[in-house]
Amino acid sequence: MTTYIIRRLLLVPFLLMGVTILIFGMLQFLSPVERSALYVRDFPKNEKALDAIIKRYGLDRPMYEQYWRWLVGVVDVATGERSGGILFGDLGYSRTSSQPVIDLILSRFPNTLDLTIWAVAPVILVGIWLGVQAAVHQNGIIDQAARIFSIIGTSFPTFVFGLLMLMIFYANLGWFEPGRLADEYMRVVNSDAFRHYTSLITFDALLNGRFDIFIDALRHMFLPILTLSYISWATFLRVTRSSMLETLRMEYVTTARAKGLPERDVIFKHAQPNAMIPVVTLAGGSVVGLLGGVVITETVYNYPGIGAAAAKAATTLDVVTMLGFALFNGIILIVANLVVDILYATVDPRVRLS
Amino acid sequence: MSDLLLDVQGLETQFRTPDGIVHAVNGVSFGLKEGETLGVVGESGCGKSVTMLSVLRLIASPPGKVVAGKAFYRGQDLLQMSDEEIRHIRGAQMAMIFQDPMTSLNPVMTIGRQLIEPLMLHLGMNKDQANARAAELLEMVGIPHASERLSDYPHQYSGGMRQRVMIAMALSCNPQILIADEPTTALDVTIQAQIIELVKRLRDELGMAIIWITHDLGIVAGLAQRVLVMYGGFIIEESQVIDLYANPSHPYTIGLLGSLPRLDEIERQRLFSIEGMPPVLYNKPTACPFAPRCKWVMDRCWQENPALTEVSPEHRVACWVDVKTGKAR
Repeated sequence: MTTYIIRRLLLVPFLLMGVTILIFGMLQFLSPVERSALYVRDFPKNEKALDAIIKRYGLDRPMYEQYWRWLVGVVDVATGERSGGILFGDLGYSRTSSQPVIDLILSRFPNTLDLTIWAVAPVILVGIWLGVQAAVHQNGIIDQAARIFSIIGTSFPTFVFGLLMLMIFYANLGWFEPGRLADEYMRVVNSDAFRHYTSLITFDALLNGRFDIFIDALRHMFLPILTLSYISWATFLRVTRSSMLETLRMEYVTTARAKGLPERDVIFKHAQPNAMIPVVTLAGGSVVGLLGGVVITETVYNYPGIGAAAAKAATTLDVVTMLGFALFNGIILIVANLVVDILYATVDPRVRLS
Repeated sequence: MSDLLLDVQGLETQFRTPDGIVHAVNGVSFGLKEGETLGVVGESGCGKSVTMLSVLRLIASPPGKVVAGKAFYRGQDLLQMSDEEIRHIRGAQMAMIFQDPMTSLNPVMTIGRQLIEPLMLHLGMNKDQANARAAELLEMVGIPHASERLSDYPHQYSGGMRQRVMIAMALSCNPQILIADEPTTALDVTIQAQIIELVKRLRDELGMAIIWITHDLGIVAGLAQRVLVMYGGFIIEESQVIDLYANPSHPYTIGLLGSLPRLDEIERQRLFSIEGMPPVLYNKPTACPFAPRCKWVMDRCWQENPALTEVSPEHRVACWVDVKTGKAR
């Protein structure tokens, strides 16, 4: 198991390099002037100054040189100040939000993470549980209900579902509002009295003992959570159900019954661990789906997360910001896949030993 | 009360399929004495496995259902028991091993964990006792370095070794009856012989009764004392093993014996085979199910399904024809 994890970890630097090369390749479609946003905040108006910038940051140099500069940045000989350099966390300057791209990501990501954590937990717990129940009681009431539920879930486009929820629960009933927090709570959160332990508002609210803020945050997150989780929920349910149905027909399940085990053990100890193997594979894929879904969901509910920021950058052609997000997503994907690989090995011994 | 360990009477099992109800087992009755080895032979799909799975109530329902019959184990009807009661029979009193050792062990559980489950469940052992016993059991079925191999997973064992594990698991609680559902079919011939030798040795040591399901009459000859021949969900011949080979009385049994390759054949001949396929019965047959493939077939065979009748002591057959004379009985 340890050697398996070490082998996986050794792959990570290579994957990261692949991602940076891919992103950098995309940067080459921009003009040198546009690329200067990687290093400077304002475009000078006159052409001479522009040329000077291009020269100074080597934007007309061969690709490999530019790649190197993009990685480590350019140090000003006179002042010793470094500009650019993704390895030092400088992803360029975001014109649309008037701050460095990295600051934008770091301020928005906790909101998205907060949302995803609350969306993923019910997906995994309830989706898998319902899938198992549906398979065990095939064609029973739970199964039929779950089937209808999951067909609706998989066939509803995110934006339609999101708008529908907004219409019913906000416009008509007024139960759940879009946005992040009510204004008066936002003021509390931004004040010095509120300690930021995790940057995730729901957790910080609990840690600060402000249960009212926690409830308000959840109230604002309820519809995005519902929208995000419903679709993955339905997929998890379907995959778990069919995988479980297949597993229950396997001979080792009959063996387990022939041993005299109680049905509960047959299902949860013998069948379910086997049925989880394709579900774990799906979990890896659904991280990608969740990140994609987050763009639409956050935009629909005006939720200040990373997806909404990316959507804004994309619609205003802020390419440097976009590529910053792309790089960030690439890193998240690599980490997610690493986690899935390790999970995969814990559920299936055949993976970790071969 | 009889002296039978297992007494099955009039067992009927059906499967609901999209094409209709399949009558897989149609009124099967047989007995098993203590310590006896009973061979059950017949082609694939003739109801051998379904009969035994029905007795242990392991038929998946739906689509399968035991619709009639009784199966007495030591005077208690297995088919009338509660789920809780039958669980204490399974594994503890009656154990079963299956055809394909590659799929009958759980791939994500260690061999050790699978072995200790019945020990802890039926014999009330704690984990340490069960682990120690599991190692002994593996030793008993001839797996070298047994205690080290408990933490291995099934895919680290070969097919023959997995079947040994299955046997160890089945015998772990000293059951009275071992049901072996074609346990050597998926193994190559040399491994087959080893497994059969192992089962014979363990039978002599432990003294359990065995029901050995197979389509290989050669295996039955060396292992069983009594044989049931099944066809179309019926028992069509039942006899002591020597008598069956000496005087096969049902055309189907004769066909089965005739289709065995023989080493003592003088002339090279084409291997005999029975024409046609065994039937899938959507209706309970009113004629003899073997009639379409039988070369002794008479008018009566198409009108009435013959019942098992005694032709000589302990030899019963379900056929209208006396194959020795070729005339009706």
